[in-house]
Amino acid sequence: MESLSDTKWDVLISGTGLQNSLLALALSRSGKKILHVDENVYYGGAEAAFSLQEVDEWLEKIQGDISSKPFRNASLWKAEASDGTAGLSFSRAYTLTLSPQIIYSRSKLLSNLVSSKVYRQLEFQAVGNWWIYDGETEASLRRLPNGREDISQDKSIDNRAKRSLMKFLKFVVNYENLTETWEPHADSGLAGFLSRKFQLSPSLQSVISALTLSFEPSDQIPVKWALPRIARHLTSIGVFGPGFGAVVPKWGGAAEISQVACRAGAVGGGVYVLGTGIKTSETVTEDGEQLSKVELSNGENVKTRRIVGKNTGHDLANLKSVSKIIAVVSSPLTSLFQSSIEGSPLAAVSVLVFPSKSLPEGTAQPNPVYIMVHSSETGECPSNQCVLYATTLKSDNSKAVLEAALSALLKSTEDDEGKLLYSLYYEQEQQASYASLDLAFNDEILQAVEDQWKTIMADDNGTLEGSFMQFEDREGMNNDDDDGDEGF
Amino acid sequence: MASDESLPTLKILMIGPSGAGKSALLIRYCDDQFDSESSTATIGVDFKMKKLSVHGKAYRLNLLDTAGQERFRTLSNSYYRGAHGVILVYDISNRESFQAMERWFEEAESNAMPGAKMYLVGSKLDKTNHRTVQYEEGQRLAELHGCGFCEVSSKTRENVRKPFVEIVDSIVRDPKLLSAGSRRSGTVNVGAGGGEGWGTGCAC
Repeated sequence: MESLSDTKWDVLISGTGLQNSLLALALSRSGKKILHVDENVYYGGAEAAFSLQEVDEWLEKIQGDISSKPFRNASLWKAEASDGTAGLSFSRAYTLTLSPQIIYSRSKLLSNLVSSKVYRQLEFQAVGNWWIYDGETEASLRRLPNGREDISQDKSIDNRAKRSLMKFLKFVVNYENLTETWEPHADSGLAGFLSRKFQLSPSLQSVISALTLSFEPSDQIPVKWALPRIARHLTSIGVFGPGFGAVVPKWGGAAEISQVACRAGAVGGGVYVLGTGIKTSETVTEDGEQLSKVELSNGENVKTRRIVGKNTGHDLANLKSVSKIIAVVSSPLTSLFQSSIEGSPLAAVSVLVFPSKSLPEGTAQPNPVYIMVHSSETGECPSNQCVLYATTLKSDNSKAVLEAALSALLKSTEDDEGKLLYSLYYEQEQQASYASLDLAFNDEILQAVEDQWKTIMADDNGTLEGSFMQFEDREGMNNDDDDGDEGF
Repeated sequence: MASDESLPTLKILMIGPSGAGKSALLIRYCDDQFDSESSTATIGVDFKMKKLSVHGKAYRLNLLDTAGQERFRTLSNSYYRGAHGVILVYDISNRESFQAMERWFEEAESNAMPGAKMYLVGSKLDKTNHRTVQYEEGQRLAELHGCGFCEVSSKTRENVRKPFVEIVDSIVRDPKLLSAGSRRSGTVNVGAGGGEGWGTGCAC
């Protein structure tokens, strides 16, 4: 077998995060020789998913490196296994993901996974209910309307408010053609815009703002940023079935996509080495061609035409950071997943939104908190438990805010009160762009992959051949083996 | 072949060290081809499909090869998801490949779903002159892990159907395993989109 150094690689890719894994897939299936390495011993980079034991190893690494990026300040809490209640299960019963992003039905990622045939190795599940927390009402979790009929039947909204809401919804799905309504207010805050232009109440402003998944409070979300995201939410509902507008791949979301993309890249001839990074690289000229001579951390020297590194980010002055908690709870929280829409699939993910300043008094909450609740159907935890992924913008007290939101959630559901079994706190800094922190998959990432692919594919001959992520079937259907009964 | 979509589907994986003959076995079984020149890692297929009947009932096999990811032991967890059976292959003329099997069993047992069936295969039976692993050694290892065992030659076709037929037989005897691999009702088919968002229709 050829050694790594015998091959002249077209592209050496370092890091198996989602973006690089999709790029490796696109390039290898377009005929490029790809060497794909990752300094980590696991796939997925910042989008990895872990068993409990792998979390411990990850934690140790982050705690031992104060300059670690993009994760830092990680800490872990586990409930004492004592009082007779069922505690945590074994390590591999869990797949805790660093990237619990939802993927909207109209995201280009899905159409690319379909055209590249990779989707068949994935199992997508519905993101069902969205809930909004309102500390001031008695029923403190309110389900967001999931369709037009839902709104007309919602008794908590009076008729005048309903008319205002319908007027806004009609506007927002067509916002691109109705520029005169919003362009003068493009940079204003969303809350004020909804109030002035559509007479929406503060409570409905919170509902609409929740759909943007913005880390900022509703009065600070720029209108021009919010409208496409609200429209995306609304126009996504029903695309793949009634009652939901987004999906999550089973077994850890983006973590699973990057693994499946890497396998498909290997099927296309890409070579994978984990636990191996780039140590040094220098430019050399060979047969009149400029190559990079790279020393890998496993001691091998390889030659490659191009290197795609990790997304180290530009020198942005104000990099955003978020605080996150991954929590395991001793209850399936079934009531959060029940659907009111006939014919909708059993949802595996629910989204809970805590608007800024909504938590009970005593917790200063400057920014909204989002909790993605994953049921055991996601394969991420044993049945009778669920995993909560909580996120808020990093602030002085963001850890306390997340903990308060988790405890408020557990008190507000109709289910038997679940107990916290496990709580992993960490902070994550944005990488190349805000998209790396987005709670819904951001198509900018796919655009970046396509741009990289185009640059590399046009490299040799100046013209672009083939189309991005459009691949022929790579599966063989063979003759039947119908005489298999012999011997039985 | 569209009618095959309705058949119960079994996912079966091939694993084992590089050069053990996994792809050769798969290609001989599925395509009845053998290329003695091909020694490098095969540029693979996502998976191969084959229809197989046991006890008069037809099944669709999805057979997955390692696509070279065994070389640096970088098979991902996702490779093992939902697999009903794992065929572990070593080369009877390469002692090292046999010695590596314990680690491959470990990897398979910790990654595959509980109850998934294993099957051990000693390949390159045509190379008996260069045999360094005795039949009994393979048999003992298989017994230790409670799984089936045979030796095959992809070159001469000897026994090439046996591992597949026997592992499928042991899978279908276990109804719990059979149902564990099937997709739940909550699965969303993203390949069949085209519906309308609720905001795009008539506003009446």
